[in-house]
Amino acid sequence: MTLIMVVDDDQDLAEMLGIVLNGAGYEVDLINHGDQALEGFRTNKPDLVLLDVMLPGIDGIEICRQIRAESMVPIVMLTAKSDSHEVVQGLEAGADDYMVKPFKSSELVARLKVRLRRTPGDGANSLRIGDISIDQVAHSLNRNGESIPLTRLEFDLLVALAKEPGRVFTRDALLSEVWGYQHATDTRLVNVHIQRLRSKIERDPDNPELIQTVRGVGYKAGSAKQ
Amino acid sequence: MSRFLRRWRRSILLQVTSLSIAVSLIVIATVGTLLYTKIAAGVYQEKNSAAISEAQSLADYTQAQLDATRYRTDILLQTVIDNIFRARQVSPTTSVRETIMLATPATAKISKRYQGSSNDVLLSTIPESLRADVRKNFYSQSMRVQIRYAKGSRAPIDAIAVGRVLGIPSSSIYEIYYLFPLTQQSQLIDLIRGWMLGTGAALVLLIALITWYVIRRVVLPVREVAQIAEQLTEGDLSRRLLIRGEDEMGRLAISFNEMALSMQQQISRLENLSRLQQRFVSDVSHELRTPLTTIRMASQLLYEARSKLDPAASRSAELLVSQIERFETLLSDLLEVSRFDARAAILETKDIDLKPLVLNVVDQLQANQVPHFSFIAPDNEYRALVDDRRIERIIRNLLSNAMDHSEGKGVVVSIAQTEHVVAIGVRDHGIGFNERESERLFDRFWRADPSRSRVRGGTGLGLAIALDDAKLHQGSLKAWGRPGHGANFVVTLPKSPGIPMDSEPLDIFPSDQPSTILADFDSDDI
Repeated sequence: MTLIMVVDDDQDLAEMLGIVLNGAGYEVDLINHGDQALEGFRTNKPDLVLLDVMLPGIDGIEICRQIRAESMVPIVMLTAKSDSHEVVQGLEAGADDYMVKPFKSSELVARLKVRLRRTPGDGANSLRIGDISIDQVAHSLNRNGESIPLTRLEFDLLVALAKEPGRVFTRDALLSEVWGYQHATDTRLVNVHIQRLRSKIERDPDNPELIQTVRGVGYKAGSAKQ
Repeated sequence: MSRFLRRWRRSILLQVTSLSIAVSLIVIATVGTLLYTKIAAGVYQEKNSAAISEAQSLADYTQAQLDATRYRTDILLQTVIDNIFRARQVSPTTSVRETIMLATPATAKISKRYQGSSNDVLLSTIPESLRADVRKNFYSQSMRVQIRYAKGSRAPIDAIAVGRVLGIPSSSIYEIYYLFPLTQQSQLIDLIRGWMLGTGAALVLLIALITWYVIRRVVLPVREVAQIAEQLTEGDLSRRLLIRGEDEMGRLAISFNEMALSMQQQISRLENLSRLQQRFVSDVSHELRTPLTTIRMASQLLYEARSKLDPAASRSAELLVSQIERFETLLSDLLEVSRFDARAAILETKDIDLKPLVLNVVDQLQANQVPHFSFIAPDNEYRALVDDRRIERIIRNLLSNAMDHSEGKGVVVSIAQTEHVVAIGVRDHGIGFNERESERLFDRFWRADPSRSRVRGGTGLGLAIALDDAKLHQGSLKAWGRPGHGANFVVTLPKSPGIPMDSEPLDIFPSDQPSTILADFDSDDI
């Protein structure tokens, strides 16, 4: 069974989240204090972390950074402020997605499903981008036999781009394809993750070759120097 | 020239200095001229006296010599006459004096044999007026003349002519004139004039320099104060004057700095206060969100399970869900308003076509289901650089407002554009509003008729936010209304932020209505 770790100091909200997620068929591990989050993560090894940004003790952003340092687990942040630095800080600390309070239960469950989904096997098991080979079944990335670890979201983002090399994806298109958003237009989400992905796979992240920016439109998978 | 004039008008230093130069020039010129004429007159007066007395004695001596020829045979008349014309030379071009002897008109009728002059001086040198004076008076007469030489042998010289009558034996009467050149005096006067001009010019320069220096000492600190005051006005509240000395300027600097300090404190106090208030609103809105999330999820759980509840509880679950929706809209509107108040609202512009955007809102609100709905957009495209999220919100607010108040009598949405401006109008033929109501139309939480049922449950912030959104685009939002004849709202936007709105593509007065009531809110009102 899929285990979701909920870290929220608001006991009532945490309980409610537990009820909703249980109802959706997930196992839930509730943690109320920031200081216990990392310990709980290590012992229970959840499949996804739902993390409130504002926490007593170690705050959500720091927890996010620490978890990301040792795991590629999907992390979704909960925030009350969509327009503050908080969101960008959280994304830069390694969060894959964020939910702005007050959200609908259905919205939350749908978003978590996208984050937990296994890569759909759509024929081609192996893709190439530049000198990197992508194995969609094993969920791994190789450059000259050397493995590059990616989070599931980064992997999905790269696969989305690599599947159609040369096609220019708008940020909105990526949001709908990779994050499962319908109308949202939070381009920060895309920008931060593209930067992170580049820092992992590009030889020179300042002059990206594999993921190229198309000014005023979006991104596309580049062919790199063959 | 006009540049200099503008500088002159803007600078006390230039004004006072040029004024002092003008005044000192006039005074020094007047005094100098007066002094010069007095000195010159004095110098000539003295020479005149000396000339008269010398001429007197010369004439007396010559007369005595002439008289002697009558009694003594050893002195010949011609020799005496020759001696008269023998002039002593000072230099080859200047004589100590020249002599002219002229026959009186009476003598001239008989003979002019002794008439003559020294060194070829022209006889016409002596003017008739002097001659008449000389003949009338026995004593010597003097006058300033100009000695002219024959054939241009020498340049004319200023001189004093002294004349008297001379009796030559055998009863003929002549006039004798002694001409004393004024060369020395002229040189002296020239020298004096040169000195006076030089001293005068130096004096004017000195006065100008002193004035410049003194005014500068006063004006420079004043200029500094003006500069600092300008910087303070521009918002740099930390600027202060340098305090030099304990004089009036020093005191000015001290009190100026005190003023600036108290101003800075006041402003930062007010800033803090309003920041605190804005943060409070923002914090309250955010704090409400966590419990609201729980409530929302709980209500949805109940709502989904409503089939298992009894009818009253089931209906309550439905109401709970819809009211929580409304509460959330209100909360986000409130947050938006607090963002405008904090001036934290940011325009994120995109180049978009407004036609599909408006149509999208119409679809979302199902406005085309309203009886007698029409959409007027003659052009294919209405491109503008705008914040689409805000424009969409304006349209949604105006359209839902119109639908709430149309009473089924029809809603018209229109778009129009000119070269630089685009306008969107929303017209309904419903209840409208009166003049008193029009003044409060854009007030927060104001409702035209509090007893009216809230069909769509608007927050009461819609029009206020729409106006703020329009202003943020440097555009305008205008409203027209008449009770029973409906209302018309027109939002006019520049096609790019910063372009002046030079036209109004849509008239706020509906073409089907002559109107009297207008509520007008421009970006100028900010």
